[in-house]
Amino acid sequence: MARHRRRFGVYALEQSAPFIGFLASGAVLTFIIMALGENPGKAFQGIFKFSVSDPAKLAALLSISIPYYLSGLSIVIAFRAGVFNIGNEGQYFIGGMVGAIAGVYFPLPPVLHIPVVVIFAMLGGALWALVPAVLKAVRGISEVITTIMFNNIALALVNFLVNGPLSGLQKGTSLEPQMKKLLPSAVFGKLNGFFRAIGWNVPNYVYLDYSLIVAIVMGVVIWFLLFRTRQGFEIRAVGTSIDVSRYAGIQVSRVQIGAFMLSGAIAGLIGLQEIFAIRGFYTYNLASGLGFDGIAISLIAKNSPVGIIFSSALFAFLKQAGYGLQLFSKVPNSVTYAIQGIMILFIVAINEILIRAARSLRKKEVG
Amino acid sequence: MDFSFIGFFLVKGLEISSPIAFSAMGGVFSERAGVVNIALEGIMTVTALTLVWGAITFQSVWIGLLVAVATGMLMGLIHAVVTVTFKVDHVVSGVAINVFAIGLSRFLCQSFFGAETQSKINPFLFPKILGINSLAFWLIPAAALAWFLLYRTVFGLRLRSVGENPEAADTLGVNVTLLRYAGVLISGALCGVASATLFADKWITGMVAGRGFIALAAVIFGRWDPVGAVLASLLFGYADTVRIVFASKIPIPDQFIQMFPYILAVVVLAGIVGKSRAPAWDGRNYEKGED
Repeated sequence: MARHRRRFGVYALEQSAPFIGFLASGAVLTFIIMALGENPGKAFQGIFKFSVSDPAKLAALLSISIPYYLSGLSIVIAFRAGVFNIGNEGQYFIGGMVGAIAGVYFPLPPVLHIPVVVIFAMLGGALWALVPAVLKAVRGISEVITTIMFNNIALALVNFLVNGPLSGLQKGTSLEPQMKKLLPSAVFGKLNGFFRAIGWNVPNYVYLDYSLIVAIVMGVVIWFLLFRTRQGFEIRAVGTSIDVSRYAGIQVSRVQIGAFMLSGAIAGLIGLQEIFAIRGFYTYNLASGLGFDGIAISLIAKNSPVGIIFSSALFAFLKQAGYGLQLFSKVPNSVTYAIQGIMILFIVAINEILIRAARSLRKKEVG
Repeated sequence: MDFSFIGFFLVKGLEISSPIAFSAMGGVFSERAGVVNIALEGIMTVTALTLVWGAITFQSVWIGLLVAVATGMLMGLIHAVVTVTFKVDHVVSGVAINVFAIGLSRFLCQSFFGAETQSKINPFLFPKILGINSLAFWLIPAAALAWFLLYRTVFGLRLRSVGENPEAADTLGVNVTLLRYAGVLISGALCGVASATLFADKWITGMVAGRGFIALAAVIFGRWDPVGAVLASLLFGYADTVRIVFASKIPIPDQFIQMFPYILAVVVLAGIVGKSRAPAWDGRNYEKGED
């Protein structure tokens, strides 16, 4: 019994890095606020008021977490396979565009149209990951670099297509460059009514739309794939040790390409909410940086499809906290970005320290 | 096409290549010591700001350069502490520092100049030679110096040994930790110089615009050699110059010309594999007495 308790203690020690890192970066934030001559109490009150003070604010947090979660999920699958897909930013822009093409040009009944645009968005993202995936698996070229290059190529490409062949604007109009409006059958409905029916008063201006369902389904699918299937086992094996995997007869390059493209497919879904629920059309002025945020979100949660529920909520909270700080105190919004970086560094460094500590505790136990 | 135009093109290309080349040289030092540094981009973003701040505050662009080099080394120090001392994955740390750098630079800009996305105009500029920032001409002696340092000094030999086989180096009494720190700090310092060759008159958010990442490609394409990295950077820099100089003259949509340096980077990387080999312990942490 005592031994069990001790084992649990070691396990808890290993898992506690995100919490310690969060608290430590909170301390840094407090210090910065004080250094700026602002009252921390007032600043944190501003954060609280703007993020979690009532059910409507919580609903907004959930809404903002959706693209964060999908972005984190796409990184989870890549990093688990040992593939550093830094390219989900580009995959997200391309995937969104391909989905929007299906949404504008395919006249389908709603019941078919929405799944079709989701599948097309996934195909677009997966295809954009194909070249870096093959170059890595077959020719050993660092995917960190090729995916970053593909991000830049993607931005220029969507810029060209949306301004040119896919433009939905009449000549002479001065709106932001955009594709044609989506057909009504492809527009994502809201779930706010459902949430109100079960007693959560979600106001109309908050978008809890079909992309929430997509995120939940994808989360379950990826969790199941990773931890309950042979393919998932192979992905995790390749991510842990390529040599051992090869020795065990796993086709490493096939697994890497598969995981890479799946990561791209999920990245293609990041823009669903903004394109299909909020805007109703595609533009290349989508929220930028969501792909990169996914890397941090996945890292903080140690690449766990369950853990990123919390880290994407944390990012949504930080976003709102930034606005809260800006509105209710003289602390600039940019502080929250710096804090995000500090938090990641804290968490990954503390994680290494704790894992070492746990390892030496285990050794003692055995010996 | 007259000679003055060709001259302008050659000189302009050198100026455009220098930020990539200096940071790529930095990348070579870091990776030769065994630490992958994908934070070059973020470090340059911060040093570009502190350069402007230093120049305005001390009324001298040279002091600005010193400030930039010092902040570059500080940022490098963070990366070194996290990767070498705490043994965190190098790409992970680099990604985090890039995130941190975006926020830090905007926050500092707000604190120094009262605006988040751009600084005041800096009137203290580097002297110009042949119409370009004279720092760009340092590139050639700097590459020669880097080559000498890496291949003809004891320090260089030890630095390379630490990236190639830290276990053996450690056995022979080389301080692995110290040399890895040195490699990363040099890369931070060179990022400071790189940002000084970018623009010195003003800091704007996003001004580094991916050059730090192109520099990483140049490190690989240049086979982890300082001279090779500079030559690779010149290739990317001149490709970019073609875009800038000829954009209005070729009937190709602007966006395709924008893609050109990136596509070139991918094609070049795809073409050289097998011939380019990373230092054996590049990106791997070394643990003393690990069993």
